[in-house]
Amino acid sequence: MAATINLSDSERSSPNDQSVSSRSSNRSLRVAEKERRKNEAEDPFVLALKYFTDVEAGTPVYGNDDFERNLVLVEKVAYSKGLSPEAISVMLEFAMSLRMGSSPCVRVLKCLIPATVVPQEAVVRAVVWLGVGKIPISTQVLFIKWVLTVFDMIDTKDQLRAVYGFIFSYVTEENLCPFICHLLYLLTRKESVRVFRVRKLLELQSKLGRQPFLLHLLSLYKVFCPELVTLSIPSRMRSGFRNHISPWKSALIAVQKRNGLQVASSMSLAFTIKDKTNSRKRKHCHLEVPALRSVVNKEAQTEKCSSRKVVPLVQLHSFAQLLENMHHIELPAQMGSLLGSSLALQYLDCVQDESALLRLNFWLGYALHEEFLFCGDGGAIQNSEDALQFLNKLLSAHHFLQEGFSSSEAFLYKFLNVWDGSLLRPQILGLLSNIPVVPSSQIGRLLFEPLTQLFFTSSLFFKCGLVECLNNMLLKWLTWHSVYALEDDLDISLNSHTSINMTLSGFKDSVMELVNFVGQLASVGLQIEGCQSLLLSFVLDFYETVCDTFLKYGLPLVVMPPSGVFYPALFALDPVSVDRLAYIMHRYKVNLTSAKAQEKLTKAFHISRQTFHEFNHYVVDMVSCLWNSKMFQPGMGVQLGEELLLKSKVPQYWTSFDLIHHPAFMSYAVDFHQKCWPGKKDMDLSSIKHSKPWSWYLEYLFTQGYDGLKQFVQSNISRQLTASDGQGDTQQR
Amino acid sequence: MESPQNSVARTPSNSAIVQRRSKSKSYRQSYRSCLGAASRLGLTPGLTARRLNSSRRALKSQVITEKVNPEHLAILVKAEWQLSYVTPLYQFRHTQLKSYSRQLSAFIAAEKQQGLAVEVEGSQSSFRVSFSVVQGMAETDDDAETVLIQIFSKPMFAKQDEPQRSVWSGWLTCINGNPDYLHSLPKGFTCLPLFGSSGAEVLTSLVKSWFQQTFDCCFGCLEINQTSLQWLAALWTNCHTESSLKHLKMIWTIPVVPPLQVTYTVDPQDAWELWMSVRMDQLDKSEEEEEEQARNIDIEEVTRFMQGLKSHFYRHFRLDLSAGNLQQVSTALGSAKFSGKIKISSSRYIITTLALLTECALLKMPI
Repeated sequence: MAATINLSDSERSSPNDQSVSSRSSNRSLRVAEKERRKNEAEDPFVLALKYFTDVEAGTPVYGNDDFERNLVLVEKVAYSKGLSPEAISVMLEFAMSLRMGSSPCVRVLKCLIPATVVPQEAVVRAVVWLGVGKIPISTQVLFIKWVLTVFDMIDTKDQLRAVYGFIFSYVTEENLCPFICHLLYLLTRKESVRVFRVRKLLELQSKLGRQPFLLHLLSLYKVFCPELVTLSIPSRMRSGFRNHISPWKSALIAVQKRNGLQVASSMSLAFTIKDKTNSRKRKHCHLEVPALRSVVNKEAQTEKCSSRKVVPLVQLHSFAQLLENMHHIELPAQMGSLLGSSLALQYLDCVQDESALLRLNFWLGYALHEEFLFCGDGGAIQNSEDALQFLNKLLSAHHFLQEGFSSSEAFLYKFLNVWDGSLLRPQILGLLSNIPVVPSSQIGRLLFEPLTQLFFTSSLFFKCGLVECLNNMLLKWLTWHSVYALEDDLDISLNSHTSINMTLSGFKDSVMELVNFVGQLASVGLQIEGCQSLLLSFVLDFYETVCDTFLKYGLPLVVMPPSGVFYPALFALDPVSVDRLAYIMHRYKVNLTSAKAQEKLTKAFHISRQTFHEFNHYVVDMVSCLWNSKMFQPGMGVQLGEELLLKSKVPQYWTSFDLIHHPAFMSYAVDFHQKCWPGKKDMDLSSIKHSKPWSWYLEYLFTQGYDGLKQFVQSNISRQLTASDGQGDTQQR
Repeated sequence: MESPQNSVARTPSNSAIVQRRSKSKSYRQSYRSCLGAASRLGLTPGLTARRLNSSRRALKSQVITEKVNPEHLAILVKAEWQLSYVTPLYQFRHTQLKSYSRQLSAFIAAEKQQGLAVEVEGSQSSFRVSFSVVQGMAETDDDAETVLIQIFSKPMFAKQDEPQRSVWSGWLTCINGNPDYLHSLPKGFTCLPLFGSSGAEVLTSLVKSWFQQTFDCCFGCLEINQTSLQWLAALWTNCHTESSLKHLKMIWTIPVVPPLQVTYTVDPQDAWELWMSVRMDQLDKSEEEEEEQARNIDIEEVTRFMQGLKSHFYRHFRLDLSAGNLQQVSTALGSAKFSGKIKISSSRYIITTLALLTECALLKMPI
């Protein structure tokens, strides 16, 4: 009752109080100093504390006005500003020593609201008093609850840990036990877990039955010393300890808010112990990521690292902790569990231990095989939801680590042979794009054979997806190369970083194989799908990567697209494709020019004449088709018989694919014509061909965003010549 | 952290490169492509099309009782075993079996009474577990010794002084394991790929999950596929002169509606004669290597033997068994089921049978 009155009292006084303090802070130092000195002598609060320090043992409580007055004063300060560390020490000492009997004890404990920190010594002394005095059990409980509540505010904990055994001895007190267990849980370190303590707790367990507090403490013991105790926590059990903040909650929060401190948040402990072996889920348990557990049989490691303190990964809860303990983290019992936690994944990035990664790969390979290859009962279809989540988790791990696991790679080589191309397509293609460089001797059998079958028997969307996937794969290979080529000289074999015994030329062979393979797929695919513009777009994406291999990734390799890709893009119905082709050809030119220059300097590599020849051929074709209106001339990649062309009765068929008559650009030509000659009734598109309108028309096209075309024109065509039949000036090598 | 040394140990030729690795940013070697030179993935089934051996020695009658503890042998021969494959065990020590016994019994006790902690050392659990090594089973130096696990318990309503009796048993073995595969595993791994269990399903799954948590391994079903069943049928028939088959019984399921099951029992003498006729053809081919040939059996012979049996059946019943699936083969020497159950009734042929099954288990390894 008294406490509630006091509380409301303090709340009423608080605004006033605050304004006083804020004003005082504004005053000059001199005034403040003077006041401080005055306060020290006369401050009733200081006097009150002095009273509680000096009060004789056995002083009566009832009818003691001094005591009442001083305590009210302390309470007032406590509930408004909180108590300073010294004040906490004094009051705690006063209460626990029972100098005025046990009756003021509860009242004092309830007002122990720390303003900043709680001195550890005070708590340790109080714990000692627990054993000396005759404090009523309910008060003892209140005290432990108070310690639990302010635990995070205790300045250091080393001495408290030093009296771990002493605190542990209270476990046998039946009423104290739950709270002592909680306190022990907070204080436990590996060295505090001892056989006799385990036995004591188990003894209690047999007396009290399955109590959550005992189990939680024991489960922590298991984390540190799984060789001493084992248990399995039932799924229905509440996780964590209850918090006991209630007697102090409102006051504590109010004080902390006022002092701008964070509200103590770690009052409840989260448990990560997961219940498994559910008989319901047993059928598909291979897709379950195992829980993080610490290793039981440590004898192998203890010799090696007995000098170092090893921290089980389970015990780490934040990235900061991870960094702090980076060099003495103990790997979990099951490596697969690393995949389940984002924190552990950070660590996986630094794991160098080959066996550890092999363990992970065994588990992962097992899970993938069981789920997708060995499933006799059509399991994969039944629980595709689980499979989806599992693969997504795996993919995000891949992305995080920026590379795939070897077991998922090995799995894919097998799975591609039985895959229908639709089951979990995005995920499987995602995994596929993470495959590291495959030696050119094996790439055909492992990748191309199954992929070819899938490509030609699947829908348009699969085709697009596969081309995109292969583009990503190529990007990753090239990035990998550029990272390691930067470190070493170009001609050094790459096996300093991987055990892939691959030389630069081997790597080039693999890349070439891949590019040629996509070229073949794309040529036939475009034909099958009638040059579908979606597919064409994915194919052009791929060639945007290919055309820049030399400049962007430092790989002296230039592969031209096959004509099955080039001409469909050139004659595409949408201007975007033509524009992108122009951009790609422009980049090819920049890359080839630069490679040629470097080739002369270093002589370290050689781009074949055939490539230059192919490039020139394409450029000449492109220029004469788009620019010079010389379609279907002998020597071009696309040829039709003269008779056939005449039969088609297309007038001036040789102009039909120039920038004006090209189906992709016709609408622009019409639009331009209308803008240029608004009055003109009959449309004569050929009039654009004249020198002036032609350059205006080009400007007009470029303002429509066809930058690829612009770059192509600028780099391949010199326009000082007469425009009416402008000359293509293509480079000759 | 030890990886550079390891690599030195295994690939001494590029020690210079290894130094570089430790200096530079060290590409994680084990995520590496599974086609890497030093990688064990050269053995990956998908890459090498690893298959069952197409030729194997005939079942050797071995007087195994001299090598192997007869008590252990009696346990192995007595029961029908449900088979599983197991990925290599990490940090398994044959010297720690006592400690494993205690841990497993505590684990079982803890799992049986959820929410009750159990002390590992000196626990008075209702289940007693015993791990033991079955000496003398290993065929080569690469094979890890076979481990036998037994779980004893008292019946629910037993008398006070009644002894505990075995309620579950299981073993892990590796007989004639592929030496390339075994050598490719780094130190710290023990390969015991074949697991047999007999007893309550609950205990089996508890034992499995304890192994998973303790040795970071995985258990998967091991079916005995068509080819292996046919192999067993032929291998057993081949022993008829040494120890009588009594009968050769095969069960086939035919995929029709309603499902049809065919039990085909062959007189042992007839089976033997058919087998010998198949064998004789083969033996005629090379007279020089007759001695060698007599011991080795080829997959072609097995196929021809089965074909003979099937065509005989067809002549009588106009039903082609090739359309169906062989589910089970049994003789007096043992029985094997497609679902992965095997019973080996004669200790004389136990090693060779287990070698075949080890091969099957290794084929299932994910990497």
